[in-house]
Amino acid sequence: MTGDRPAAPAYRKPVLTLSNVGLYAAIVALSAFFLFPIYVIFLVAFTPTKYTLFAGRPPLIPPALTWSNLQAGLTGANSPFLPSMYLSLEIAFLVGALAIAIGIPTAYGLSRLGSRLAYGLTTVLFIVNMVPSITIAIPITVPFIKAGLYGSPISIGLTQELLALPMTVFLLVGAFQGLPRDLENQARVDGAGRMRAVYGNLVPLIVPALIAAFLLSWMLSWDESTFALILYNPATSATLPVNIFLAFTGRGNPAVGVAFSCVATIPVIILTVVLQRYLKGEDLAAGVRG
Amino acid sequence: MALADRSGGKAPAPVASFWQRHKEQIIAFLFVVPALVYVGVFAFYPAFDTISLSFQTPILAFTYFNYQSNVQSGLYTWIGNTLWLTAGALALQFALALGIASILARTFRGKTAFATIMILPIGIATVVAGFTFQQIFPGTGAGYANSILANFGVGPYYWLNANWEALAVVAIADSWKNTALVVIILVAGYATIPRALYQAAAIDGAGPLRQFRYVTLPGLRGFIVMALLIRGAQEVNIFQLAYIMIGSSPQLLTVQVYLLYTSGGGIYLASAVSTVLLGIVAVFILLVILVGGRR
Repeated sequence: MTGDRPAAPAYRKPVLTLSNVGLYAAIVALSAFFLFPIYVIFLVAFTPTKYTLFAGRPPLIPPALTWSNLQAGLTGANSPFLPSMYLSLEIAFLVGALAIAIGIPTAYGLSRLGSRLAYGLTTVLFIVNMVPSITIAIPITVPFIKAGLYGSPISIGLTQELLALPMTVFLLVGAFQGLPRDLENQARVDGAGRMRAVYGNLVPLIVPALIAAFLLSWMLSWDESTFALILYNPATSATLPVNIFLAFTGRGNPAVGVAFSCVATIPVIILTVVLQRYLKGEDLAAGVRG
Repeated sequence: MALADRSGGKAPAPVASFWQRHKEQIIAFLFVVPALVYVGVFAFYPAFDTISLSFQTPILAFTYFNYQSNVQSGLYTWIGNTLWLTAGALALQFALALGIASILARTFRGKTAFATIMILPIGIATVVAGFTFQQIFPGTGAGYANSILANFGVGPYYWLNANWEALAVVAIADSWKNTALVVIILVAGYATIPRALYQAAAIDGAGPLRQFRYVTLPGLRGFIVMALLIRGAQEVNIFQLAYIMIGSSPQLLTVQVYLLYTSGGGIYLASAVSTVLLGIVAVFILLVILVGGRR
């Protein structure tokens, strides 16, 4: 288990010595690599397009700033922005809620099963995460059309859940395993049924993990574009990422894509920073332990 | 499901005593059943459906036509491009991630800020990342990478001329977006390596490089293998990032599936390419099971 972390290395005063110069040079170079594309998103969103999309040598320092790209994309005639954002929000909340609804019993069950069976079932969930989205999305459109659900938030949410559920379960299994076993036994001795013991006594104690799982699932859905692309109904509306994809692949206005990108990116960047301590290697690697 | 049968089959005992002995386990298993039904219906069934569709046409119940047709259109080239991209992207992001993870294993001022900066791309939607890198590395001689190079009097470069160049540019974009995922897994691995091993190695006179080779790498092996397989399967699935940046040249399996499906090529031809994609991912899945089972 990684629970018993080794003691932290003896703390040395971090000063910029000769031996540190290489370290800081590497950090600066890597930071520039990770930040530069985000700066480009900012440039393209807030600089007149003659200096960005249509420039032969786009300037690195913006000669002028403008809101007109965002305005054109978000409020221009025929802009699909509002219905698109509404659909994205609806699906993201659905995926988050479903992840919690299915994730709690699944994670509780896995945390109580024998290790071999739990390992096998975890692997099954893990495989689901690896199967190509496009392989699943194409055949699944047919039953959705038959059921009259083509392009509906439910159909897109149910497929995106395939990506959110395994991560949610891994995160919640860790949370359940972190609780003292006696809590549940005590509640059951006191006469609570198993459901009461789980939902009344255990679940309230893992609320922080539940919030994290909900938000991570929300975020995953907000950014997801393969299921959302194959399953959207062109007659109604598509999610933000799908509209961005269509705008950048020749079936829409790139300025709309730029504006949507900006709006779609900001909440997720905030969530990523807030949630980074919940992004654990053990969860991403299905509980690999060295 | 199948796994439950296996656990049941191991102990052929009278029903009543089986229930009594395994009551807790059976109830725990029942909690997992809804999730298993869900992934069965929404993941495994459609995957098998794809395989079955790939051997059909509107008039034929069983045929290899879809595969033969795709082979003539260049299936082997698409497979090659997909595998080269996978290999390149993996090599790049593991080199970056090993470096970053070993930086994050140290204590230094600004560590939190660096960790946050590194993780930001996870929050950028794939389609946005694709567009951004298309603005940095376009095939037109314009773009932000050339704006930087112009300061040094170099360029302009037409980044997408050769196939390998186009794939390399996609690999860079993908590594930008996903290296943090690898770092997170490797950092978890670092936490499992006892500090005493480093002290012992240092006492024996091992410098940083030898410590990395003889302490860090063996300690991280399980994590590296797992991260390689997980990321490998996801690289094979790169779709919109590549399509926005380089279109169809060179062509990838995923992009071909999408184009066949949307441009009238039909669900049957698309399913054949999709099945090939699934087959490559299945190799990664098998390796995950083998590697996982050996531990």
